[in-house]
This record gives sequence, C-alpha cells and structure tokens, in this order.
Amino acid sequence: MSLLSIKDLTVTYGTGPSRLQALKGINLEISPGETVALVGESGSGKSTIAMAIMDMIDRRSVVGTIEFNGENLSAMDADKRRDMRGSRISLVFQDPFTSLNPSIRIGNQVAEGLIAHLGLSKREAQSKALDALREVGIADPEAVAKSYPHQLSGGMRQRVLIASALVCNPELLILDEPTTALDVTIEAQVLDLIQEISARRNVGVLFITHNLGVVNKIADRVCVLYAGQVLELGPKGSVLRSPLHPYTRGLLGSIPRLGERDRLRRLTPIGGRFPNLADPPAGCIFRDRCPFAEDGCGDAQQVRPVSDRLVKCWRAEEVSDFRWPEPPDAGSVPAVTADRRALVELDSVSKSFALPVTTIEWRRAFGAIPVPAPVKKRVDVINGISLSIAQGEIVGLVGESGSGKSTLGRIMLRLIQSSGGRVVFDGSDITASKERDLEGFRRKAQIVFQNPTSSLNPRRTIGNAIGRAFTVSGNGQGANRRAQVETLMDRVGLPKRYYDRYPHQLSGGEKQRAGIARALASHPQLIVCDEPVSALDVSVQATVLNLFLDLSRELQLAYLFISHDLAVISHVADRIAVLYFGKIVEEGPTNRVLQPPYHPYTEALLSAAASPDGDHQPGSRIVLSGDTTRRVAKGCVFQGRCPRQIGSICETMTPPVLEPAPGHRIACHLPLEELAAAASRVPGKFTASQESK
Amino acid sequence: MLFYVLKRFVAVVAVLIVISILVFTITQVMPGDVAHTIAGQFATPDVIAAIRVKLGLNDPVAVQYWRWVSGILVGDFGQSIVMERPVGSLIADAFGASAVLAGLSFVCVAVLGILFGVVAAVRKDGIVDHAISTFTYVGISIPEFFWGIVLIICFANYFQLLPSGGMGSFFSSPADWLAHLALPVVTLTLTLVAHVSRLTRSSMLETLNSQYVRNARAKGLSETTVVFRHALPNALMPTITVLALDIGWLIGGIVVVEMVFSYPGIGRLLMFAIERHDLPLIQASILVIALIYCLANLAADLLYALVNPKIRYGNAAD
Amino acid sequence: MPQTKPFHRQAALAFAAMPSKMLVGGVLLTAIIIIAVLGPWVAPYQYDQMSILARMKPPSAAHWFGTDELGRDVFSRTLVGAQMSLAIGLGATALSLVAGVPLGLLCGYKRGRFDEIVMRCMDVLLSMPPIMLGLLFLAVSQPSAWKAILAVGFVYIPVIVRLTRALTLDLANEDFIEAARARSERTWYILLREILPNAWPTIAVEGSLRITFAILLGAALSFLGMGAQPPSPEWGLMISGARPFIAQAPWIALAPGLSMCLTVIAVNLFGDGLREAIDPRTGSRGH
Repeated sequence: MSLLSIKDLTVTYGTGPSRLQALKGINLEISPGETVALVGESGSGKSTIAMAIMDMIDRRSVVGTIEFNGENLSAMDADKRRDMRGSRISLVFQDPFTSLNPSIRIGNQVAEGLIAHLGLSKREAQSKALDALREVGIADPEAVAKSYPHQLSGGMRQRVLIASALVCNPELLILDEPTTALDVTIEAQVLDLIQEISARRNVGVLFITHNLGVVNKIADRVCVLYAGQVLELGPKGSVLRSPLHPYTRGLLGSIPRLGERDRLRRLTPIGGRFPNLADPPAGCIFRDRCPFAEDGCGDAQQVRPVSDRLVKCWRAEEVSDFRWPEPPDAGSVPAVTADRRALVELDSVSKSFALPVTTIEWRRAFGAIPVPAPVKKRVDVINGISLSIAQGEIVGLVGESGSGKSTLGRIMLRLIQSSGGRVVFDGSDITASKERDLEGFRRKAQIVFQNPTSSLNPRRTIGNAIGRAFTVSGNGQGANRRAQVETLMDRVGLPKRYYDRYPHQLSGGEKQRAGIARALASHPQLIVCDEPVSALDVSVQATVLNLFLDLSRELQLAYLFISHDLAVISHVADRIAVLYFGKIVEEGPTNRVLQPPYHPYTEALLSAAASPDGDHQPGSRIVLSGDTTRRVAKGCVFQGRCPRQIGSICETMTPPVLEPAPGHRIACHLPLEELAAAASRVPGKFTASQESK
Repeated sequence: MLFYVLKRFVAVVAVLIVISILVFTITQVMPGDVAHTIAGQFATPDVIAAIRVKLGLNDPVAVQYWRWVSGILVGDFGQSIVMERPVGSLIADAFGASAVLAGLSFVCVAVLGILFGVVAAVRKDGIVDHAISTFTYVGISIPEFFWGIVLIICFANYFQLLPSGGMGSFFSSPADWLAHLALPVVTLTLTLVAHVSRLTRSSMLETLNSQYVRNARAKGLSETTVVFRHALPNALMPTITVLALDIGWLIGGIVVVEMVFSYPGIGRLLMFAIERHDLPLIQASILVIALIYCLANLAADLLYALVNPKIRYGNAAD
Repeated sequence: MPQTKPFHRQAALAFAAMPSKMLVGGVLLTAIIIIAVLGPWVAPYQYDQMSILARMKPPSAAHWFGTDELGRDVFSRTLVGAQMSLAIGLGATALSLVAGVPLGLLCGYKRGRFDEIVMRCMDVLLSMPPIMLGLLFLAVSQPSAWKAILAVGFVYIPVIVRLTRALTLDLANEDFIEAARARSERTWYILLREILPNAWPTIAVEGSLRITFAILLGAALSFLGMGAQPPSPEWGLMISGARPFIAQAPWIALAPGLSMCLTVIAVNLFGDGLREAIDPRTGSRGH
C-alpha cells in the first residue's frame, strides 16, 4: 500500500480576474522507504504541493484527494490534520536562517513537538530532543540545545530543523529545498544525512528541489513539475538518462556539466517565457516554449504511460529522436588570440574588516589602574592573493560563502579599498588612485551582479538605465544615443520595445541581460561577473551563459567569473582559481584543475558537486566534517577540515606552492606524487581543443 | 551585554551634559532681566546692580554654568525667584504628583495598548479588528487638550460625576484622590493607547507572517501555542522600544493635561515658571524632565537587551 | 526595499481603484483646504469683530456656532482659524523635510564621522519630548505664530533625518547603487537621481502624517500660550481662551476642537490610504 497518494490535486488561488491556478490535476504516489524527488523551477508549484499535504492552504482553494496510509486526509477535520502535522508527516522548510524562532532555545524548539503530540513531560521531551540532535550528527547536543539560533551556522540550523522534524518519528518526511541556501560541501553532508536517515527509519521522503544533480544523488523516482502540472514521472535513472518530455530534455540540456568543456559546444536553453498562471494557455502548458510544438498540442493533454514512466506529451516517442535546436552560433571566431598580455593584476592583495565592538577588556593604565577598553577585532577576508587576468581571458573564481570571492572581485574594480597589496590595470598601478583619476579605468572595467532585481533601479526604464551608462562614458550623444542603446539591447537579446519598460515588467533572465547591456555600454575590456547566473532558473541560466561566452569571444572581453558552482565555471572559464577562506589553494587552466593532482579542497568540492549524470557511489565520496566558520591565524587555511591533513605541520607552517605543470599551482604540504595518485573526480573526457592550453 | 549597557549609559550621561548646556544657554538669552524682575518696577539702578552682584550675574557665562551644575550635583537647584523657596523642594512636590499621574497612565497604556493590538492582529479583518482600528484612528487624531475639555464638559459639568481639576490627597481620602486622577489619566491614556495598539498590531501581523511561525504551524502546534509562545514575544520587542518613546509623548502630554485639569504637577510648574520668567525654576524643571526621559529610554534599552537573545548572549562564533 | 512600481503609477492606480480611505480622506481634505483658502472671504463676520451685546450667545441663525466671550462670531473665527492651523501643519512639515531629507541622505550614504556627529545631535534633540523643545525655544523670545512654525518644524527634523537615513542605508546596499559607483557617478548624482526617487514615496507618506503631528503640536503650543497670540483665531488658542467659560458656553471650545479633529482625521485617512497604495502588504503600520 502506498504511504501517500495524491489524486487529482488542483489548487486555485483567488477568484474572478485574479484567479491563479497554482496546481492542476496532480497525481503522485510515495511508498514507504522511497524517496521521490519533486523537481521544478520557480513558479512550478512544488512548494504548493507540500503545503497542500500539510493542510496549510485555505481549504477552499484545494480540490482533490490526498490519502495517507489509506486515510483520506481531505475529509478529515482541521484539528485531526493539525495533529498529524509534525507527528506523522513532517515538513522541513527551505531557509534555515529564518525558520527557527530567534527567541527560543534550540532544545525547547526541538522538544516542542514531543510535548504537543506525544504528551511527554518536559524532561522526557528534552532528553529525546538530545537524542534527535545526536542522530542528525551534531557532536555536542547539550551545548547546542542550550543555544539560540543566531549562535549556530547555517548547516547546523538545517540539521536542527531536520531533528525537530524527526523527533516524533514521522512516516513521511517532506523536505522543501533543504540545501539550496547551503554551501556545496555542507549540502553534501546534509544530503548524506537525509539518505542515511531515510534508510534507517524506512520513512517515505518527498524531496523538493530545482537541482537535477541533487535529484540524481538521492532520489528513487523523479516527478517533473512545470507551471503546476506533472509533465514526467518515473524512475530516476531512466528519466535523467533518457528523458521523454521535451521540458525534461530541455532542462537536462541546459545544465552545464562538470568536466565536459568545449567552448564551441553551446548549452541548449529553453526559449520563451514562463506562462501566465492567471491565464494559462489552452492545451499543453509547455506549448509556447516547446520546439516540437504542433497543432495537436493545442488540445488538452493527458498523462499517459510510456515505457517505465508517465509522460504528459502526445508526441513524446515521436520526438525522442529529434535534436533539440541549438541557438545560432555567433560565428566561428577563434577563441584564442596570440597576444595575451596581462590586463589586470592583483599582487599580494589583502583585505581585513573591523568587526563591530561587542566586548570590553580591562587594561592597565599607568601600571596599576584598570581601565576599560573596547576589544577591536579584525577579520582577514582576503590574505595575500595574487591573480592576473589576460586580455580576452576568462578566469573562474570558485569558493564557498565566506571565501572572500565577492570581496576580491570588488577590490579588483576598486569598489572596495584593499588593506594591502597592489592592483595594476593595463600597466598602471591604481591601488591608491583617487576617485577622480579612476574615471578612465571605470570605463574599461565593469561589473555584473548576482541579483537581477537589485541590480536595476526600479524607477528607471531599461533604456534610461543603459543610456545613462552610455552618457557617462562619453559614448552617446543626444538622438544618436537611443539608437546605440537599442543596438546594444539587440546584441544581448532584449527586444527593442523593452526600452520604455520598467524592471518589474521583465523576467529574471531579461533583467540580467539588461544588466549586462549596461555593463557593455562603456566598451569595457574587463567585466567582473559576481555569481551572475546563481539567482536564475536553470532553463534561463543557459541563455545567459551562452551570451557571456559569445560576448567574450566577439568583443575580446576578459572576465573574472565568480561562482560557487563548479559546473558553471568549468563550462565558461579558461583558468580556474579555487578560493578558500581568503587564500587561493589551487589555480590553473581549467582542464588541469579538474583532473588530478588536486588540492584536497578542490577534490572535496568536485566530490560534493551533484551532477545529473553518472552514478554516485556513496563510498567514494569525500565528505568534509565541520563548518565553514573558523578562521585560522597560521598554517594552511584548510586545516581542521582537510581529510588528508598530515599533522601539526599543516597547522603551523604555510604550505609551499607546488607546480605540477606550467601555470598550474597547488598550495599543499603533501608531496606531488601523492596528490597525483588521486582518482579523477570528473566524469567524461575533455575534447582535444582544450589540451592545447 | 555588559559592553552594550556601558555604551548606553555613557551615551545618556553625554546627552544630559549637552542638554544642560543647551538649557542653560537658552535661558540666558531670555528677555526680561532677572535682577529687574526681583527688584520690582520702581527699583533704582543701584539696587539692580547690587542684586546682580549678589546673584553672580556679572561673572562669565562658563563660571555661572559651572556654579549651577555643581549645585545640581549636590542637590541644590537654586532659589525660585517668584516663590522665594528652594527650587528643589518645589520640584520634589510637583514631581511626586506627576509621577503618580504618569505612572498610572503608563500602566493603562501598556496593558490596554498591547491587549488591543494583539486582539486586532489575531482577529484580523474581523469586526473586532475594525472596531479597534476605528477607535485608534480617532484616538490619534484628537489632541489631548480638546479631549480633556470634552471630558470635563461631560463628566464634570454635565453629569457632575467627577471634579474638573486639582488633586486630592491619597492619605486623607483615597476615593477623592482617585476621583481627581480619573479624568486626567483617561485623557492621557487615550492618545497613547491608540499609538501603542497600532504598532503592536502591525508588529504582530508581521511576526505572524514570519517563517518561524509558519514552521511552528507546520509542526502541528496549536494556534494558541503559536500565537502566545512563538509570535507574541518576538512581536513585543519593537513595542518595548516604542513604549519608551511614548514616555516622551506622555511627558509632553502631561504638560497640557496638567494645565487643562489644573493638576499641580511638574508640567504646570514649568508653564508657571515660563510665564513668570523664573529662571532657576525653568532650568531645573526642564533638566529634571529631560533626565526622566533619558532614564526611561535607558530602561527601555536595557529591557530590550535582556529580552533579545541576540544582544544578551552575543555570537558563539566570537 | 525599493518599490516595485514607479510611484506615480502606483498613486494613479490607487486613485483609480479608490480604496475608501483615500477617497474619503481626499474629499474631506480638499473641502478643508478650500475652506481654509476661501475662509476670510466667505466668513460672515470679521474674525476679530467684537460685540459687547452679543456675548456668549448659543448657536443661532445669525451666529451658526454662537459667539464667544467677547461677542465674536465663532463660526467666522473657526473658518479663518483653519488657515492658521493648516499653515502651521504644512509650514512646519515643509521645513522639517527641506532640512531633514538632505541631511538624512548624506548621513545614510556617507556614514563615517559626519554621520556619527549628526546622529548624536539628533539624539540630543530627540532626548527631549517635542513639546519641551518647542517650549524651550519659544520661551526665549516673544512667542508668535511664525515662531511656532519654526519651532515645530525644527522639532521634527530629527524624525525626518532618522527616517531618510534608514531608507538610504537600505538603498545604499542595493546593487544598482554599486553599479552607479562603478560608472564613476558623483555623490550628489547618486543621492538625487538614484536614491531619492526610491526613498521618496515612503518619505511622502511619513510627511503627510507629520502634518497631523505638526497641527496638533502647534495647537498645543498655542493652547499653552506659546504660539499664536490673541486675537488670532488659531484653534488651539481659541480652545484655551474658552476654558474659563466651559460650563456656560461649551460651543466656544467645541467648534474649533471638532474642526481640528476633522482635519487631522482627514489627513490621516489620506496618508494611510497613500501608504496602503504603495505597500499593501503592511496595511496600517504604526508610526
């Protein structure tokens, strides 16, 4: 018997002109011990399904049946369903930073459910809570139980949330994007934990995510959701390896893969825009974006079984051989120019910030009198980094949160003042230049931001924003300017009619393209791209990444491409620098960095990266212990977490820089032979054109 | 947390020093020569000059200031020109009366304001919410002096229920004392209750929409637990801050209310002093009022620090 | 957070959708403004026209609101008084905005020592209850209505500075500001053309509510004798003048009092409606 059975679930918000159909006709089943992944982009309705199961949506909006262990939940009264929440069905929310009550101790928050649902006494509940914290891998449960949420890191908080979800021994566990807000290495830890728990307790797991790599890691079956409808549902292996629905194919095709890099191979994005849920199109909901659409797609679609799964496409088998159309090539301009002098150089750059004063200490003035003085602490965000980027070269900077990568990008652009070292651009030292002398520099070095919404002034039209960049750089005059702006908009793929539109009228991907156009207005030679695709949906990422590559090739642009996603970087960059806590631990051409010899941190990153391809053998995975919160004063910056730490030498002496190949540098105490003996973490091969670098 | 407390304390002291300078300087600029006032209309220039010397009015300003401040620090506020009594005792009496009035009003404001705000938020868009909203709307639109006068017209003149002014003595007749306090307290309470309840309502609504409250609901906890254990403590934190600011409103309102009801408190004393150009009395009254306000703010800050774990315990990562 | 829609669009949309608050408040307010502007011409009597015989007469056909203790027509005085109260409200608020907004912008953007010094000064000003400050400044010289406007405006500068500063701090973290700096834009340009247009709606809403506070504070000061002086028909002054005669002639105080309440409620309704239009999520936020 299935644990959870959703039949024909339809959720419609609002009435009349503001009606929104969030879900339509969802059918889904989960068996005990099974992990089902619910995959979709933003707006697909995946969270809505979770909320409907938990009865946290206004019942008037919900139509359909949800059965749990044979009981009909939809017919149950509100109190009984509330009782099931947290005890038999548990939900773990997405954001660990806001999901815990800031004023209640952790122990009490975990124990609450036990007292409310199982009627335990406070003492019994507290002790069971400690057990739960231990089960999720927290080393010192007593200390954590006494703490408040703000005293714990993100990874710890997520574990606490999982613990409080497990504490009443639920039969079904729903996890709504539990690792999206976490670093890759922490994500790997949490995913392992979830797998282990689900195996041990034999609970059913509904895992909601947008990341197909994560799906590959932990799911048994996959359900692909788009605009509130199930488009494909089947075993993970077959769906990911041979997708049938065009949307699934499009998704898989638009994800950059780790290790497979050919600059001439472009990602194949899904064109068009997300449908308007207030006015959904008749027939297939994916029709407007599907390259294989035909007249027959205008009829209402049914979910039908095809081989080992369910697909909502009447042409699925027919088009399974058709190739997904590739976007037009920008032209076969050679990627490499002969003259590769350094455009920008960072020489031993450091940056430290003063922390806000929170405590005082007593110092002795004149030998005897104790005088209170504020304790001034500084944190070194960047510690002696040297990096150079040649003209037209794309350098990828990869690191997790707290590594200092954003700060480094801004130091390169003199948006933040470095505390030490030099910044040299095009031969001149601009470290200490005054603002008014930097005008010329600023024209040649621009930035593209991560968050598309915050990067555009909501009160300026697109045309106005780009036009201003033109005017300031002295390139556009008067009537001529509009034409120039439109040309630029055209170049980045924005329709000309967007000139008079405001940012809120554009989608995320379109806003990002507007930001790129603005950066290009002054004809720069260098662009710092600060996680430019991290905030975009997967299908949109591909378009923007293609754009970046095309522009670089066409305009000889150099990039400092910052990201936490190794797959994206490996697709885009010529060289990679791996950043950990303010120090570069490995640097070199992409293909060399991705193959052994590895720095242990690079190896861990590669191992933790979730890819939609290939099989994952749990045994070979490297999982780092601990959190990304400690900074060290001396020795290797990776000490304490390094799985290959030798001993005290790693804690006292700065590691030497090894150079296994020209241009490829690793900072590690381990001898090169040992590092080179590691197994390759990257599936697939490189094409010949990269080996020449 | 110790650092936070010390920082606030130092700030208060600094502010008080600045205020004292401000007060002293401004009153120096006041029209009407003090000596002239004391001497009377027909005094001769010699008499006036003598008084000036006696009061030390010919010394440089800084010296006069220092004399005044050092006097205050030992409790000597000087001599009232008009009443010919030590200012200190005048203020002490008046302050006692005002403290009673303010204290009672504050308690009413806090209790009723929070109550109304929470109820309005929990029963959002219901009849109760709309009723409370209308009430608070009207409350913040009516000036205290008008409201006081309306109350007097109703209860004192028309219904003859309560006295229209003055103060009773608690020790001789508690009932009479309470009767005299009733209308002033109600007047002061009304405007502030409106203010506090609006803020509590919006703060409560925001908290009820937060992720952690959603999480508490997802754990299947009863609505009562969610509202009172999870939402309310967090919603009250901004209210605490505003209650402190409201003490300032309270003090401001007290001046007007005491005038309307002829209540012998420090506000009325201050107005009296201003009308008569009684310099020492003005300076001392304003300084005392400012001191109370600063201390109230400090108390609110400390309470906030105690209640907010982020400040109380700091970051474990440090 | 910057608003998602341009302000003028939102205000227009709000007007079209006409939430009842804004409609009622707007209509009322327009009526009051018209009365205030036309008052002196429309009034049946001069506001200071005394008549010994017709003292303290209750409302009648000849005198719609009755007469006061000096035989002056209360209705006429109330009409003309509208002008004074509105003048204090608008004048003081305008003053506090003109002085406070630029200061707040600079503090929030520049930070550093300038910010510290200015905020300390603001703290000092804020550490006195508004009425105290007002009294302090007015006691210095002969009080008058004009000085009341200055005093009230001055008293509310810190509030505007704090608000603008908080908004600027938030906005300065947005990426488009950093993009402006990456274009070598000057500080004044960033403040005026990038930050202010986004902060403006919230400031406007706060300003509209400040008007109510200014009217009330101005009236309170006049009530205490520190603002408008007799024979001015300022509403607060009228009420204080009526105090001794409350028992015999309550209408002398009721007319200006109720008028003041009506005006303040109208402004409140309008301001609240405006605020809801801009950010429907927050509903009726406390000030």
